[in-house]
Amino acid sequence: MAKTRPGLVVVTREWTGAELAEAAERLVPGSVDRSVATACYLKPEKLVETMSALEANEETDFVHLTNLCGVDYWDHFEVVYHIQSFVRNQIATVKVETWDRENPSVPSVYPVWKGAWMQECEAYDLLGIQFEGHPNLYRIFLWDGFPGWPLRKDFLSMPGGLQPGLNEFAGVSRRDEPPVRPVE
Amino acid sequence: MTDPFKTEPFVINIGPQHPSTHGVFRIKATVDGEKVIDAEMVMGYLHRSMEKLAEERTYTQNIPFTDRTDYLSSMSNNLGYCLAVEKLAGIEVPERGNAIRVIMAELQRIASHCMAVGAFTNDTGAWQTPVMWAFREREKVLDLFEMTCGARLTCNYMRIGGVAFDLPKEFEPEVRKLLKTLPGFIDELTDLLVENEIFLARTRGIGVLTAEQAANYSLVGPLLRGSGIAWDIRKADPYCGYEKYDFDIPIGYQGDSFDRFIVRLEEMRQSARIVEQALDGLPGGPHTTQVPLALRPPQGEAYARVEGPRGELGYYVVSDEGPSPYRFHIRAPSFINLSALRDMTVGGTVADAIVVLGSIDIVVGEIDR
Repeated sequence: MAKTRPGLVVVTREWTGAELAEAAERLVPGSVDRSVATACYLKPEKLVETMSALEANEETDFVHLTNLCGVDYWDHFEVVYHIQSFVRNQIATVKVETWDRENPSVPSVYPVWKGAWMQECEAYDLLGIQFEGHPNLYRIFLWDGFPGWPLRKDFLSMPGGLQPGLNEFAGVSRRDEPPVRPVE
Repeated sequence: MTDPFKTEPFVINIGPQHPSTHGVFRIKATVDGEKVIDAEMVMGYLHRSMEKLAEERTYTQNIPFTDRTDYLSSMSNNLGYCLAVEKLAGIEVPERGNAIRVIMAELQRIASHCMAVGAFTNDTGAWQTPVMWAFREREKVLDLFEMTCGARLTCNYMRIGGVAFDLPKEFEPEVRKLLKTLPGFIDELTDLLVENEIFLARTRGIGVLTAEQAANYSLVGPLLRGSGIAWDIRKADPYCGYEKYDFDIPIGYQGDSFDRFIVRLEEMRQSARIVEQALDGLPGGPHTTQVPLALRPPQGEAYARVEGPRGELGYYVVSDEGPSPYRFHIRAPSFINLSALRDMTVGGTVADAIVVLGSIDIVVGEIDR
């Protein structure tokens, strides 16, 4: 029978946006844009400085960049970073916004975590987000010259306006979205 | 005095069709003589854009996609995805469902590590014997999956809110039979390989990573633990009731290929321990909660992770109250583990590059998605 060990149960502490904003503001004044319940939005120009401070500081100790991905919100892009600490067993979510739809660009966190190298390549390949300061940003999955950026919301995955999946499922209709634009 | 042998850099392709790349993956290695001086990874041959496809399908319809990312550990993938959606929608899973999930995830770890260990020894030159032994054990686990859900590789067994079917009557005795033979198999493999001089010469000191490097490269799973960081999501952030089970986290101290191999062997033993405890304490009751077919989670986002056989497997799901995810991102462990490949191979020989790649234990379906 399994031994239960009450009192020894540990859970990762998930930092709220406000907690992280407070820590970031203390380490690098003027770095926080705003904070929401789950995440803290940093200013792009202070991103690398703040991230390296969060990585090096003993209290925050976010030595591991767990996840990096981009999200397209039609009018702007968000890059989401999940960073965690092994010693303190905590995880936090950091976000950065970029509002330029034609040439979205955020600073690269490669100087802080080398693990960002491939994940930034992936975000560039699928969403077209430029990471400034990345040593070698290239299309990691698709070939050079592939038309468009597949994970953007205006990229039509199947030509002819065919929307697979949802329409064949009883009781489910597509949500109202801005019309999709086929890629020339 | 000039060097009697004049050498110059030369590019060779390891892959895409090469038995040791375990799929369609290519390393463009620049070599000088036998020595690798640069290594570039070329991937994407298996890219199916699952993250885009998932945006067009309901939450339940996405579960089979997760099978097809890491096809050697489909149960863990299902579990991670279901946990992310449950976190987003606030769904509780009954105790029996959680216990079955743990059993399945740990059996999957045994099956996947059998494959990893077997293929790794194959790469080091222990031609065919260990891999066949490992496959023999893996078959037994796959038979158990077939008995439960009808599929061997792409199980599609977990559901949002529980699991698809309850365990069949003959499941428990079969698992106990497997658990009786498994430690013997691991001992056998240990005897065969751990003190084998050729195996040691091929793996000791090859692809060394320090703890700081491993953390900085975002590595997870056996690579991180092989470098001496005792980090396991099952202990650090228990899900599905892992806190109830008694098990250890094996770690290595050298951070080389051999340590990763040893960590995987030991993890199989620990997984067997967990399965046994979960079977002993298997609660009754329902195995799933009723979840609406057209699930529309509230607006928000969730990042849930599980300790898959290759490390931290995370799912990041953003919902806009639609019937399908607004954004669906997979944090694929074998993809991100590759970021250290260049540092581990440069400076070694071509033969060592093969060993290093085998020790990372990649699954190309997960790298490319």
